[in-house]
Order: sequence, then structure tokens, then C-alpha cells
Amino acid sequence: MNKNSLWKDAFYRLAQDKLALISILIVFLYFFVALFSGLGWIASNWSQEVGASNLAPSFDHLLGTDIFGRSVLQKVIRGTQVAMSVGAAAALIAIPIGVILGALAGYFGGWIDDFVTWLYTTFSSVPNIMLLISITLILGKGIFSVYVALGATSWVNLCRLIRGEVLKHKEREYVQAAGAIGGGHMRKLFRHILPNVSHIVIINTSMQFQTAIKSEVILSYLGLGVQGEPSWGTMIDDAKLELVRGVWWQLAGATLAMFFILLAFNILGDALRDALDPKLKGK
Amino acid sequence: MKAFGLIFFVTLFLISSCSKDRNFDEREIHLISPEKISGFDPIHASDTYSGNEIGKVYEGLYEFHPLKRPYELMPNLAESLPTVSADGLVYTIQIKPGILFHDSSAFKDGKGRELKIDDVIYSIKRLADPKLQAKGWWLLDDKIVGLNEWKEKNANLPATNYNEDIEGLKKIDNYTISFKLKKPYPQFLYALAMPYSFIVSKEAVEHFGKEFLNHPVGTGPFILPVFQQSNRIVYTKNPTFREKFYPSEGEEGDDKRGLLADAGKRIPLVDKIIVDVIIESQPKWLSFQKARADLLEIPKDNFDSAVLGGKELAPELKSKGMRLFSNAQLDVTFFSFNHDDPILKNKKLRQAMSMAWDRNEANKLFYNSSAVEAQSVIPPGLGGYRKEFRNPFVKYDLEMAKKLLAEAGYPNGKGLPAIVIQTRNETVSRQMIEHFAKNLEKIGITIKVGMNTWPELVNKVTKRQHQMYTMAWGADYPDAENFLGLLYCPNASPGSNGANYCHPEFDTLFKSATVLQDGPERSAFYEKMNEMVATEMPWIFGFNRTKFYLSHAWLKNYKFMEFNHSQFQYLNVDLEVKKELSKKF
Repeated sequence: MNKNSLWKDAFYRLAQDKLALISILIVFLYFFVALFSGLGWIASNWSQEVGASNLAPSFDHLLGTDIFGRSVLQKVIRGTQVAMSVGAAAALIAIPIGVILGALAGYFGGWIDDFVTWLYTTFSSVPNIMLLISITLILGKGIFSVYVALGATSWVNLCRLIRGEVLKHKEREYVQAAGAIGGGHMRKLFRHILPNVSHIVIINTSMQFQTAIKSEVILSYLGLGVQGEPSWGTMIDDAKLELVRGVWWQLAGATLAMFFILLAFNILGDALRDALDPKLKGK
Repeated sequence: MKAFGLIFFVTLFLISSCSKDRNFDEREIHLISPEKISGFDPIHASDTYSGNEIGKVYEGLYEFHPLKRPYELMPNLAESLPTVSADGLVYTIQIKPGILFHDSSAFKDGKGRELKIDDVIYSIKRLADPKLQAKGWWLLDDKIVGLNEWKEKNANLPATNYNEDIEGLKKIDNYTISFKLKKPYPQFLYALAMPYSFIVSKEAVEHFGKEFLNHPVGTGPFILPVFQQSNRIVYTKNPTFREKFYPSEGEEGDDKRGLLADAGKRIPLVDKIIVDVIIESQPKWLSFQKARADLLEIPKDNFDSAVLGGKELAPELKSKGMRLFSNAQLDVTFFSFNHDDPILKNKKLRQAMSMAWDRNEANKLFYNSSAVEAQSVIPPGLGGYRKEFRNPFVKYDLEMAKKLLAEAGYPNGKGLPAIVIQTRNETVSRQMIEHFAKNLEKIGITIKVGMNTWPELVNKVTKRQHQMYTMAWGADYPDAENFLGLLYCPNASPGSNGANYCHPEFDTLFKSATVLQDGPERSAFYEKMNEMVATEMPWIFGFNRTKFYLSHAWLKNYKFMEFNHSQFQYLNVDLEVKKELSKKF
């Protein structure tokens, strides 16, 4: 009989997965790049000209320069800050909404469940990108609207999963036992059930993070995202005209940066699921 | 294997049939239409491309002179320019006698009959016919006495009654008409030169019915018995075309450019015009490279390889005798201020902003240095533009800009809040504002970009919710009124004056100038307004942009024309040169 807790077990399983470890390393690397850029330690001079217009990558300018002679590398770093902050902010907004609505619906059932189910089915029936565009149009442009728009649209999946798990758990013996010794609804739900479904939140966050990053890039590409700040989306937008002239480095910089973080989050998400929910492994 | 064999033979057949294409005996011109042609009914000719085709078969009372610039109207079906009453309301126009419609089964014995004034009245009425929903109705809406009333009355009748006389369209005799206008409309003659008002015959309209748009029967220099909605349209010379001659005068320098070599010759100068509809830009480019088209607007993607440094034609194209035509378009780009904003009412601030912008660099980055820096509102090529005029504030001078900014009350930008420029969410628009922002940062002004969808931008401007916005304006007709009106106070938002600019003296001049007929007096007015408003910097003036065309050496008499639907009859082809150069293709 294994005496380790779920979390310890999960940690061991994760530690044996080399790919997952590399992914965690990449995610941390991006986090630190974003953090340092946010603190102004690196890439704070991204708007300065460092050379002529559209210089090819060289030793002086590792990723070349853009149309105005700004360093593409610095723009990629600055874009990393935008992307990571969007991912984090969207998760911070979406998780409380998803967890609370899902838990209440699953636990209480009845009209609360009906209402929450109606709410998330309605949300998920509207194509995501349309919803995002309309929210940014209502809130006005800028990074804050992107945070809110992504947060407000990405809670649906988490809510659905939490609702299902809570529904399953509320009939379990340990919950009945908690009720028998006088625990109220809130205690049963938040003290007993939620900790037992919290692994879903972790798995989901990792998935949500990458969806948020992708959506930010799409919004910025369409000109609805961040304004006056470099974003991977605006860089790709710039690149679509430059490619005909053979200027490929801006596209390469933005897409490679995006590629590694999305891949890392994807692998990490899978690994976390395998580690935390071993029954689902390989599914 | 069978399929491969078939493909092989089909390809072989296509190759052999292509090489037969070149014809050195007949005078023919090959052109490309970049859009499908919707049909040959003049009243629906809302796009340039249909207008271009209609202009080969049909004619209007007036046309633009093919060589003279600024654009000038000259009589076409009309005998001469109209006599206009003193109040500018009555236009009396006489048409040339003896003009024949194309031979067609619509007429008795299949012979085209003579054009009479009833045809002019009929064609104008068709524009107003409520059953036809003409796309060109806006041109005459609320302009001619009685025409709107006639339209309304007929809207409820089962069939439009063309027999009823209209007060504003009065037949004086078989060759003379008098138009009566509701209010002065000096652009009226331009309306009569647009394809919408080209003259059709009642017989053809009734004979062909719904098929009329595929059976053009005009008076024009070329005939096209049936339009088969195909990708190739072949026009042949109209054998009964009246005596019309190539103009003997043009713009200064046209002589040297060989544009007057055919002066006085009877037109059309070629026997055939063949138009291929090619929509994709690469096939267009290749077709021109293979000499299957004589004229081409350079596709954007091919610009860099065809035009070196934005100016010089690439040597391998030059060696084949190709010629490059670059012509300023009648347009102007600008960053407009919203003059409702108290901060932007400060003239010195506006001037400082203009002087801090390195237009030379912007031109290089965005237009391959091919655009012209706009000095004021009116683009080159229109009456009112003066070549020598230089706007002292359209100059890159950082020191001067800093000085002006200090005089405006914001030394080094201190105390000035960030200014937001609204634009369309489109790559180049954004990059241009980023460039502007980068420049203005040097004198301490912070500019932010506001990205919008097109309807959003229009909405912001009409509701005056903007500080600044970017725009380009292209001419609807060659009259500077079309541009100056953008700064006329009564046109303020929701009208076309999105700057909400008001200048009483300018408005007074505008009112007196726009009811004047084209001529030196009106041009003087326009010049005065243009230069007065220039230093005021109601906008930050951007550029007058350029269009690029390539032609083969054998195509003669081509000159860029903004309103080019009647231009094709003047083109010619040099068969000797074609034969000689064709060896190189």
C-alpha cells in the first residue's frame, strides 16, 4: 500500500518525465524574461533605433532590425512580457469564476445548476474569437481589455469540469461523513470537496495559459490587442508585408518565441494530467 | 497514362494556339481588365472597370481631354461647351448632327439611325427610372427640376411613363436641349462626362429587354455586337463612326513624348481592341511579360523587382523596350486634427508637429520614395494647385519644431498630454503612425495609436470622439471643390469635414468659388484658399501618391489618365516596332 499523498506521488511521477522537466524549465525561463522585462531590466529601450531599416540578423543584431531600425530581439522579449502577462491575468480572472460557478452548480444542483449550465453553454456556443472581438470593442482597446476579455471567455471549460467532479464527489462517503459530524454546506464544499478536485485547476491552468497567449496574438494581429507595445501578433502582422521583400526575421522571431512556449505548455499540461490524474493516462 | 497523354496534347495545343496569338498585320491593342465586367448598361457602371469597357462603345455629351492636364472637359457628342444662364441654372447644349448609332437588329433594316436629342432625354430619364434602380442616380439626385418628382410618381405605376415631359429636360429642337437645375451645380458637366450618363437608344433597350446589358448599341468608336460574359472581349472599329480627330494640342512636353505624332488623324487609330479579364496579379504580370498585353498596372508584389529604387525600370525590362509610367494620383493622405479639441486649436502646436515629421523617411519606408510631399489640400493636377507653392511648415526641421512647440506653451513637450491618432486596423496605417510617433518623440510629444475597424473609425469621426485620425482622399471628379470641401465648416461631422475645421474667411471664399464655372477666376479662388489654409495646418499634410504602369514600346499615345473611360480610342500601335521587338519575347 502506497502511503504517499496524491501530491507527493504526482511530484515523483512528474520528476521522472524528462520532457516535462524541460517544459517546466522553458516556462520558468519565459517567466523570468517577462519579469525582467516588466521590471525594466531588459529590453526597456526597444523603441530606440539600433541600426538601419530591415537589417538581416547578424552578430550585432541577433534577430535583425524592423522597418524602423528597432531590434527585433528586444521586440520579441517585450512581446514575451505581453504574452505571459496576458496568460497570467486571464488565468487569474478565469479560475475563480470557473471554480466558484462550477462548484456551486455541482454541489447545489437545482436552479443554480440550471442557471450555470445555461450560462456556460451560451458562452461556449458563441465562437470564441467573435466573443473576444466584441468584448474588446465594448471595453476599448489596450492590454487591460485583453486581460478582461480573455478572462471572461476562458472560464467555461474549467467550470464544466469542476461541476462534473463536484457532482461525483458530493455523494462520496467522506462528504457524507463530514455532514454527519455537523459540517455545513460551505464546509463540505470548500474544506472537503474542493481540495480533492483541485488538480483539475492545475491541469486546466496550463492549458488555459497557452490558449490565452494564442488569443492575444490573434487579437493583436487583427489590431484589436495591445496598442503601442510590441506583441508577437503585431510583429507577425508587420511581417506579412515584409516577406515579399525577403525580410523573414521578424516573422521567425515572433513565431519561434510563440512555438516554444506553446509547445512547453502543451507538454506540461499533458504531463500534469498524467501525474495528477493517473487514471486518465494515455487517454 | 491516358490522362497524362491527354494533358500533354492539351498543353501542346494551348502552346501552339498561344503562339498564333501575335498578329503583325492588324492594328490591335491588348489590354487587361483586372475585374470581371458586370455588363454594358451605362446606368449601372459604378465600377471603374465596367466604365472602361462601356467607354469604348458608348459616348457621353462631354469627355475629358486625353492629353491636357489639369483635366479639361471637351465636347464629345455635344457640339460645343454649353451656354449657361447668368444664374448658373440653365444649361443649353447642342449635339452634333449626323452621329449614327451602331448597326443593330434593334433598328429598322439593321442600320443604325441618327442620334437625336430625344435619346439624350431618354438616357437621363433611365437614370431616374425607379424600376431600374440605377447605380448612378446619386449623380443627378435633387439636381434637375422635375426629375425627382417624375421618379416618385412613376414608382407606383406598373410601367414607367417615358412620354411625360420634365421641366428640367426641355427639348428645344432635334439637336438642342436645355437642362434646368434646381440650384447651381458647376460639377454638372462632369456628371455628363461620366459613364452613367452615356447615351443609349430607346430601340435597343426595348428590343433586347433584359439582355440589353449584353448587347451594347452606342455611338462610340468601337462595336461589340454581343458581350458573352467571357474572359475575352474583342472590340472592332466602328465603320460608321463620325469624323473625330486626334487632338493637336496637349500638355507642355507632350510633343517631345511623341504624344502629338498622330495629331489631326482620324480616330480610332486601331482596328481592334482585345481585353482579357485577368484577376490574379501573377498571371497578369506573366501575360504582360509574354507581350500578350500591351499595358499593365504594376502589381504591388512585383514592384521591387520591376522598378529599381522606386524610380528606375529594371534593365532586363528596359532592354525589351518597356516603358514605365509613374503618375501622381489625384489624392492626398493626411493626419487630421479634431478642431473641437481645445489643445489642438493651438496653431503653433499643429505646425510644430508637422515640422517634426521626417516625411522623406516616411516616403522611403512606405512608398518606395515614389510619393510627393503634399504642400496643402489640393493635389497636383487640379486647378488651384500651384507648382511653386511651398508650405513652410511641411519641412523637416527639428530645431524650428522645438521652437514652435515652446511658443505654443509646451517647451520640450512639458504639460502636453499624449495625443491619440485613430486609424484603420491595417498594417501600413499602424506603421505610419508608429513612424510619426517615433519622430514626434524627439521633440517630446507622445503619440498613441488607436486601432479601429473601418465602421468603428467612421463612427468615431462622425461622433467627434477622436483627437486625430488618418485618411486618404481620392478625387471623385477633377475639381478641387471635392478636396476643399473637406475643410468647409458646414461640412463638419457628420459631413466630410472630419477635422471639424472652421475658418470664416475660407468658408466665404468657398461659397463664392463653388458656384463659379471652371476657369481662371475659379482657379484663382481655389489657389488662394489652398495656400491660406496650408499654413494653418488644419491637417498634417501627408503625400500625393503615385500609380505605376508599364507599357510595351509599340503602344503609342498612352498617357496616364485618372478618369480614363474614353481614353482607348486615342491609342495606337506601331507594328514595325512590335515585329522587331517581338523577337525578344
